[in-house]
Amino acid sequence: MDGNAAAGAKGTGASVPSNREILRVKESLFKSIWFLCAIFAVVTIFFILVFLFWDGYPIFVQVGVWDFITGLSWNPTGNPPAYGIFPLIVGTVLVTLGAMAISIPLGIGSALYISELAPARVKAAVKPAVELLAGIPSVVFGFFGLIVLTDWIRVTFDVPSGECWLAGSILLGIMALPTIISVSEDAISSVPREFREGSLAVGANHWQTIARVIVPGALSGITAAIILGMGRALGETMAVLMVTGNAAIIPSPIWNVLSPIRTLTGTLGIEMGEVAIGSMHFHALFGVAVVLLVITLAVNLIATAILGRIRERQMPTKERKKNFLSCALERSGWMGGIRNATPWIGAVILTGLMFLFSGAGAAVLTFGLTGGVVTARTRLTSRVVEKIAFALIAISIVIVLVVLGIILWDIISKGIGYISWDFLTQPPRDLGRAGGIFPALVGTLYLVIGAIAIALPLGMGAAIYLTEYTREGKITKIIRTGADLLNGTPSIVFGLFGFAFLVLYLNFGVSLIAGQITLALMVLPTIIRTTEEALKTVPHSIREGSLALGATKWQTIRRVVIPPAMPGVITGAILSIGRAAGETAPILFTAVVFSQRFLPDSLFEPVMALPYHLYILATNVPGAQGNQYATALVLLMLVIAIYSVAIIVRHHYQKTIAW
Amino acid sequence: MKYEHILETNELNLYYGESQALKKVSIQVPDRKVTALIGPSGCGKSTLIRCFNRMNDLVNGCRIEGKVRYHGQDIYAPGADPVEIRRMIGMVFQKPNPFPKSIFENVAYGPRVHGINDRKKLDGIVEKSLRDAALWDEVKDRLHESAMGLSGGQQQRLCIARTLAVEPEVILMDEPCSALDPIATSKIEVLIDELKKNYCVVIVTHNMQQASRVSDYTGFMYLGELIEFGETSQIFEHPSLELTENYITGRFG
Repeated sequence: MDGNAAAGAKGTGASVPSNREILRVKESLFKSIWFLCAIFAVVTIFFILVFLFWDGYPIFVQVGVWDFITGLSWNPTGNPPAYGIFPLIVGTVLVTLGAMAISIPLGIGSALYISELAPARVKAAVKPAVELLAGIPSVVFGFFGLIVLTDWIRVTFDVPSGECWLAGSILLGIMALPTIISVSEDAISSVPREFREGSLAVGANHWQTIARVIVPGALSGITAAIILGMGRALGETMAVLMVTGNAAIIPSPIWNVLSPIRTLTGTLGIEMGEVAIGSMHFHALFGVAVVLLVITLAVNLIATAILGRIRERQMPTKERKKNFLSCALERSGWMGGIRNATPWIGAVILTGLMFLFSGAGAAVLTFGLTGGVVTARTRLTSRVVEKIAFALIAISIVIVLVVLGIILWDIISKGIGYISWDFLTQPPRDLGRAGGIFPALVGTLYLVIGAIAIALPLGMGAAIYLTEYTREGKITKIIRTGADLLNGTPSIVFGLFGFAFLVLYLNFGVSLIAGQITLALMVLPTIIRTTEEALKTVPHSIREGSLALGATKWQTIRRVVIPPAMPGVITGAILSIGRAAGETAPILFTAVVFSQRFLPDSLFEPVMALPYHLYILATNVPGAQGNQYATALVLLMLVIAIYSVAIIVRHHYQKTIAW
Repeated sequence: MKYEHILETNELNLYYGESQALKKVSIQVPDRKVTALIGPSGCGKSTLIRCFNRMNDLVNGCRIEGKVRYHGQDIYAPGADPVEIRRMIGMVFQKPNPFPKSIFENVAYGPRVHGINDRKKLDGIVEKSLRDAALWDEVKDRLHESAMGLSGGQQQRLCIARTLAVEPEVILMDEPCSALDPIATSKIEVLIDELKKNYCVVIVTHNMQQASRVSDYTGFMYLGELIEFGETSQIFEHPSLELTENYITGRFG
């Protein structure tokens, strides 16, 4: 600007014109880099869909979509082969429903305990415990289920094998708990204080306030929590595969929880490794993946939509857009109906739970009891009702903690004796029965480091673009939906995509690099999300302050926005590392081999990895009990250590910066 | 008017989406004087000064018609660089917004961004800016402690020092004292009086006493229009319009 040249005499004299040109070029350069990062997430989800459909297409043509989905027999290696996945769908649905029957009451009870009843000190201990539960790798859950849970079921119910629907449901129920607890707890804590105070001020007791003001206020958040937990259960592979028996049959009778069962994910996990590439069976498995992906995406989109609506409602916008559905629901009083029915639903769920645990007699008793409570509620004093309710809440948190304790105790007490320096530094011998896990340990580190090196720059870039450069609009919506969909994709589907695209199409072979990229894709949405959240906590006024000094956008972002957001970003990255270290399904067909005495020389060689090593030891190598437990313990400790670092980082910085 | 002006708007209209926030505002801001903008909430005072350094660019759906000239140049012309404009026209905000860095780094931020990295030079700039902002004596022993530990009034003077460090020509102040107590407020007012020797100051304020104390010229705005503009003594003692008089005497607003 010429005007400035005249006025420039007063300037700092620092900005030479050519300097300004460089700055301008830099600005647009960075903006386009971040834009490309953001677009990447969308392109990836599109790519995954295309590749799965591409490879699944032949089976839909040969068998027909309808027959494929409703066919009653899955026998791809038979003569003639049968490609009907209805039993698999039924298995997936049943095992998920069973899991929900366990995790919904326990999860909501625990969330209520943490956010409403727990004293500050207890809360500070219980929350990390729940996060710890989330940190246990699924293959460790599967291992525990296979060794301890199925055995317990076999003995308790006196059946020939404990690998069944019930085992899968219990395990998945435990695994879905952290999601349900943390999302519901967020929803409950974000109910405005004034509501609570308003209710207490008219003389309602604590339970009445919880039941009539807080839970209804957090209802959509709790719903979303349940759906997200469901998505988690639907997409889980390893744990289910290890404990459900994997017989592709529909239980007979349908409520026979002791029948073996097979899920969509389990089918992929078992058969993908042994199928002839390009055969109809191969295509059928991709067909299964397509069906699985459609189901989980639908579930996750519903949850995202619900959470989105909550966010919208919390914003003080003038015209709050209500969608047609919720209007209609409110008018018909349907929601009110549900609310009135809640105690009864609770009674039914609780009964189901008791039924699962201790047979019919207890179930009748529980139903009678809770039913009695519901009908007698009008007659009981509110103080008694409060006591009963709080007792139930306390029981649920105790169950959760006890389960966590049992799992940790079992693995630690049985594994610790086998861990030695040699175990950590020697290659395995005798199919892993003897020797150590050194190549697996190193392989896991390689995989995780590579994955984070790929995902962190991309994810941060995408998040910077989303929060700093765009205004909320169509493009951000598309990108965000892309990231959400990627987030909801089951890890086995990533594995399949990595296999089809990286291993076969790009001809990387089963290799370190294929595993790293696959894991990177899997953690990308987490990194985008956490970075975005971290950037958003930096107040807008800080950005204005910097811009008002004549700093450019990128200077502002780099110097005043990113530094205070860094702890949040790092926390997200560490959580992703933990997740990547514990995952088995994505690397199952892309990167790992069971027995390799040496470390890989290049990115294009396969590696060993801890989760996979544990999986094979637990399922395919008889007589390796000691090393199984030791491997499980090392994996568990590794992941827990990684998560602890994240929790410490977050905790430390929460204290230091207070806006 | 006969004074030399540095900023001027001509028939400026501004819209936030559908609603019009500024209506045909024409104002000429004199150099090296303090100009106050007063008026009831929502009258467009803040919106107007945020036009002077294009901070409104950051607001969603904000659209502008008409000209804003700085030294005769249209700052909304297609080739104009908002970054360069903001370097010459600094801004102090309603709530103090120090960066979560040390006191020193807060003040050195602007010069660093504009390419000064020489430590000695920076030391000099930081000291001078803090002295000019009447904060030096209070913070000279803890320059490298976090700025977040300062009191509200100190933080606001730090933000002024931060603005001075890039040596702008114009300092825009958007209700700089509204978050401060009376003592901190009076310190800032004394400071403003000092600043006008070297800078053109435009201050938005809710407080009419403050406007009459610190400013040389005053503009009264109402419902997005600039109702009256003139020397402060004239506006406060002999307003030419009844609306202005009603506001100043506290009959509404």
